[in-house]
Amino acid sequence: MSLLAWLLVIVSQLALVAGQIFLKRAMSRREHGGEKARGWIGTLVIGIATMTVWFLLWLGVMHQVELSKLMPLEGISPLLIVLGAAVFLRERLNWRGWAGVGLTCFGVLLVSAS
Amino acid sequence: MPKPAPGLFWNPFLQIFLTVLLTAAAQILLKVGADYSAANNSVWSWLGLVELGSGWTWLGILAFLASFGGWLYALRFLPLGLAFALTNGTHIFVPIGSWLFLGEHISLLRASGILLIIAGILFLAQSVAKVEEKT
Repeated sequence: MSLLAWLLVIVSQLALVAGQIFLKRAMSRREHGGEKARGWIGTLVIGIATMTVWFLLWLGVMHQVELSKLMPLEGISPLLIVLGAAVFLRERLNWRGWAGVGLTCFGVLLVSAS
Repeated sequence: MPKPAPGLFWNPFLQIFLTVLLTAAAQILLKVGADYSAANNSVWSWLGLVELGSGWTWLGILAFLASFGGWLYALRFLPLGLAFALTNGTHIFVPIGSWLFLGEHISLLRASGILLIIAGILFLAQSVAKVEEKT
């Protein structure tokens, strides 16, 4: 993988995590109603814009790199999302949640390594 | 956590399942679209804009947009980390779809990976059930 491809992968993963956090925040605000709900559409638009950036970058990476080399990298995105959600949304996982995240990530690695 | 409307269709887990199926379909369509435009190596190829010339890519984008609706709905009710980990189910259906529609082979390693993902998803579902018991 070239340096440019690595850079694209890193930026696209960051965009994915940030975009998902914006989306979750927008939908949570909408659900709360009242004072807190105001402006949820703005947050949703920011989230969708960030996800669009992710999507275009990911298409570009797919164009340059074989899918089989890319998929293991996709396996780490749930981990990044869980960490991002813990920091920015104060989400906590119980041990079953962590076991589930770990098992699925490892499974994705195996699926893509073959 | 807020409660979803009654009825199977409004179950956030069913919506995640639909999201997963549509995302898997989208991935396969995008792959077909990317293969069509792989010969093109213009300045814009790094941005993924070349792929937009293929109808398959647009079908893939449509499937992605449809999956997005289910995903936003599920986010109203489920924590982001758990919900996103559940979308790893895509990696079960992409190999199966690639086998069915693109004629790709599923190796033993890949099959065991699929089993691990299924096991992981069962843990995640249990984890959510425990959270709901407490609240």
